[in-house]
Amino acid sequence: MIWTSRLTSLWRNLVHRGQKERDLDEEIRAYAAILEDEHAARGLPPEEARRQALIEVGGMEQVKEHVREVRTGALLETVGQDVRYGVRTLARTPGFTVAAVLALALGIGATTAIFSVVDAVLLRPLPYDRPDRLAVVLTRGTGPVAPGNFLDWRRDASSFERMGAAEAWGTNLGGDGRPEHVEGVRVTSDIFPLLGVQPQLGRTFSADEDQAGRGQVVVLGHRLWQRRFGADAAVVGRSITLDGVPHVVVGVMPKGFEFPPFWATGAELWAPLPLAERAGSRNGQSLRTFARLAPGASLEKARAEMATITGRLEREYPGTNRNVVVRGLDDIVVGDVRSALLILLGAVGFVLLIACANVAHMLLARASARHKEVALRAALGASRARVIRQLLTESIVLAAVGGMAGVALAAAVLRALIAISPGNLPRLETAGLDPRVLAVTVVVSLVTGIAFGLAPALQASRFDLTGALREGERGSTAGAGRHRLRRLLMASELALALVLLVGAGLMIRTFVALRRFDPGFDPRRVVTAVVSLKGSRSEEPGRRLTFYREVLDRVRALPGVVSASAINHLPLAGDVWGFPFQVEGQPPSAPGESPSAAFRVVLPGYFQAIGLPLVRGRDFTDDDRLGTPGTVIVNEWLAQRYWPGADPIGKRMTLDDLDQNPEWLTVVGVARNAARGQWAAAPDEEMYLPLLQSRLYLEREGGPFSFLTLVARTSTDQPAALGPSLRTAVWSVDGNVAVSEVQTMEEVVAAATSSPRFYLLLLGSFAAAALILAALGIYGVMSYSVAQRRNEIGIRMALGARRGDVLRLVMREAVGVVAIGGGIGLAVALLLTRLMGALLYGVGATDPITFVGVGALLALVALLATYVPARRAIRVDPLQALRTE
Amino acid sequence: MAAPANLLQGTLDLLILKTLTLGEKHGVAIAQRIAQVTGGTFVVKPGSLFPALHRMEEAGWLTSFWGESDNNRRARYYQLTRAGRQQLKAETREWGRISLAIAAALRS
Repeated sequence: MIWTSRLTSLWRNLVHRGQKERDLDEEIRAYAAILEDEHAARGLPPEEARRQALIEVGGMEQVKEHVREVRTGALLETVGQDVRYGVRTLARTPGFTVAAVLALALGIGATTAIFSVVDAVLLRPLPYDRPDRLAVVLTRGTGPVAPGNFLDWRRDASSFERMGAAEAWGTNLGGDGRPEHVEGVRVTSDIFPLLGVQPQLGRTFSADEDQAGRGQVVVLGHRLWQRRFGADAAVVGRSITLDGVPHVVVGVMPKGFEFPPFWATGAELWAPLPLAERAGSRNGQSLRTFARLAPGASLEKARAEMATITGRLEREYPGTNRNVVVRGLDDIVVGDVRSALLILLGAVGFVLLIACANVAHMLLARASARHKEVALRAALGASRARVIRQLLTESIVLAAVGGMAGVALAAAVLRALIAISPGNLPRLETAGLDPRVLAVTVVVSLVTGIAFGLAPALQASRFDLTGALREGERGSTAGAGRHRLRRLLMASELALALVLLVGAGLMIRTFVALRRFDPGFDPRRVVTAVVSLKGSRSEEPGRRLTFYREVLDRVRALPGVVSASAINHLPLAGDVWGFPFQVEGQPPSAPGESPSAAFRVVLPGYFQAIGLPLVRGRDFTDDDRLGTPGTVIVNEWLAQRYWPGADPIGKRMTLDDLDQNPEWLTVVGVARNAARGQWAAAPDEEMYLPLLQSRLYLEREGGPFSFLTLVARTSTDQPAALGPSLRTAVWSVDGNVAVSEVQTMEEVVAAATSSPRFYLLLLGSFAAAALILAALGIYGVMSYSVAQRRNEIGIRMALGARRGDVLRLVMREAVGVVAIGGGIGLAVALLLTRLMGALLYGVGATDPITFVGVGALLALVALLATYVPARRAIRVDPLQALRTE
Repeated sequence: MAAPANLLQGTLDLLILKTLTLGEKHGVAIAQRIAQVTGGTFVVKPGSLFPALHRMEEAGWLTSFWGESDNNRRARYYQLTRAGRQQLKAETREWGRISLAIAAALRS
């Protein structure tokens, strides 16, 4: 059989290579000998017969090489040979090799690390069944939805196979010792089937558990199950205490399951969400709704159908169904960070390209030094393709070593990235150097090897054989072309580096702006803690106020505490609830069109404790309590907007309250604007209400009204040290109250500004790497160019050129390249930085200061990298230079 | 001697296979026989002959062994295999088809 013959040949060729080679050698010698015999038989003298025979055989080595090329597995063998040869060559020039490997490791390592992050966050599908078929239906694309609307949508929308709703939920998990505050989510029973994820143990919720009173059941997340229940399978069926109420564990979700993937992330347990008694509510927007597209239905079709349904509901219940948006689930999960990550991936790609250009420089310089070697190989019968293949193999070997070093670097970089990352990169902790990422690294390394190796290999192999051998090491005909290539590489390096530097420059400006970022309050020396009364005796309506007062008394008595108070939601860290209101003297708004402001509820002394100055009026006092006229403090923004030019003190407003009878609240104070929510978000209208007058917070049972955040201003620079005594103070009043999220206000501010710092750090280090690589590249090119022109310079100086003339001559070349590379870089940067808009704060994407500053920096570095070799050139002793001719 | 014609791809294989139908031969004999039967049109140099022989042997069309030449020189002899004979038949048919086609094309 033909293929068996091929296989045995392959075996013989690879394993008995020595034998094959000896046979071939002998066969060709025998051929020559027979020819010689025949010539002799025809009467030629022995010497002449031998000469004729050898001429007819031709180059013995060339014949052998031709035979080797047709052997089965020849490619395999020459590749092996080339790799061995390449390794030997590289090992002979350790300086070059180490420099090239370092540059490549930097490029490949950084690329691998960033890619693994992009892979984990953006590319890997969400941990649900066919996640591309999942959608969210939310107000304005991110906002919550009222129960009445959700129930109507679920009933009417046919483009969804299923719809389910979730509501954020925090609970105090009782057990031995102090209760632990655990993040959870309440979900309708549709959610788990909708996601298509089966529990690892037990079951999820049944439809009848959506009924109020039936839902004292709970499903545990894998992490909580391991942490609190020692991964005990017998926990299913057991009763646990949540907010003081026994709940039965019905199931445990598998490892890696997370829900929701955005907004209340970090949920560790799930409980049913009874909606029946809230079915009529179209104002209390607290749900996030999830949906699975019906077979055959597209997102567009669902959008069209939802537009019809909400249009109808809006006519029926005006002001309740506007701005309802259907989005793909993956879009909402990664939408915000997608552009930032793609920018980082692009930036790291630039670093890799610069590293490639640098190594290409080095290879070009080496290629000219190896000109003779290549010419010799060609003379001995190597074809051009063979020479190119060998040089490329060497590049790929180099890239492979660089890639291996890069993987080690990537592992370190990745650990650091995860450690310093802001909290807003979903699933970042799952990033790792898995086979998928490593496969990409291998491909990147190979492509890199070819990318930087091809041009030099093509250049090196294009030789004029006799010219090269005769002229020896001096520049040959390929010199001009090679020099053009080097200048091209240099210009593109400069352009790439400039783009990165501009990006980093903009991030630095953002960072500086953030350092000046004034949250409105004074975050220094303040420590805070969230207190949840849920499930404790202190939650009872009559006891809450007493509890808060006693806790604050004890906190104020702690050594080091200057003042203390409490607020419902901390600025920058906590939730923000918008609440509609009406202003006295203005026509009442249509339902759903009332102005709205952030709803803050505080105890007296809050403004002093957080360090937020009251610009007018007074703080709340203990006398602003139930039964006295209602009071409110507004921020400057709200005052300016609704009472422009007038003194807001004494003006009145009322809340569009859900339960309470409308009651006029008199403005008693105006507070400075405090930063809220997102670090870069514009300030918004805010109103502060006295907790002592809030029935919601004093009496309302259920719901999120039995949480408060304690705020204590201290006299120490290490306010975090007071955290433990804060806990003790709370527990000395009621041991069943959960205390969580003990943090200083400076930590809160740092966390809120952590993403620009993260991006600055990454873009900054990429840009620094780019600048160093580009400077080294330019230095290398110019040194080489000057060395090449030694003779010319020597002659010029011998003929009377002054040093200044020579310096100008050398610099002129570099200035041209710098100008071209810089110009292209600035143009590209202008185009690309527009994509950065979302990352910037306090600086425009085309900030002229950054562009000019960065351009000047790069030009300076480039010229310095040129000047050093140029100076060396003018110190050339003309005699010396001419003598080497 | 006429300038050696460029061998069409595959032509050399065909000539070698044909030459070996008369029995095993060593390299020099094969080259001389081809020059002789083509009236000197094809002069096969070792640079083409050896790669062709080795390639065909690996394809299973030829086998080789060390033997003695007429002058008692050690020489590598090549011999057709059964697969080689089939290959010759196939290539002869193919060649006939091509030459007819080219002849027809030139006549038109």
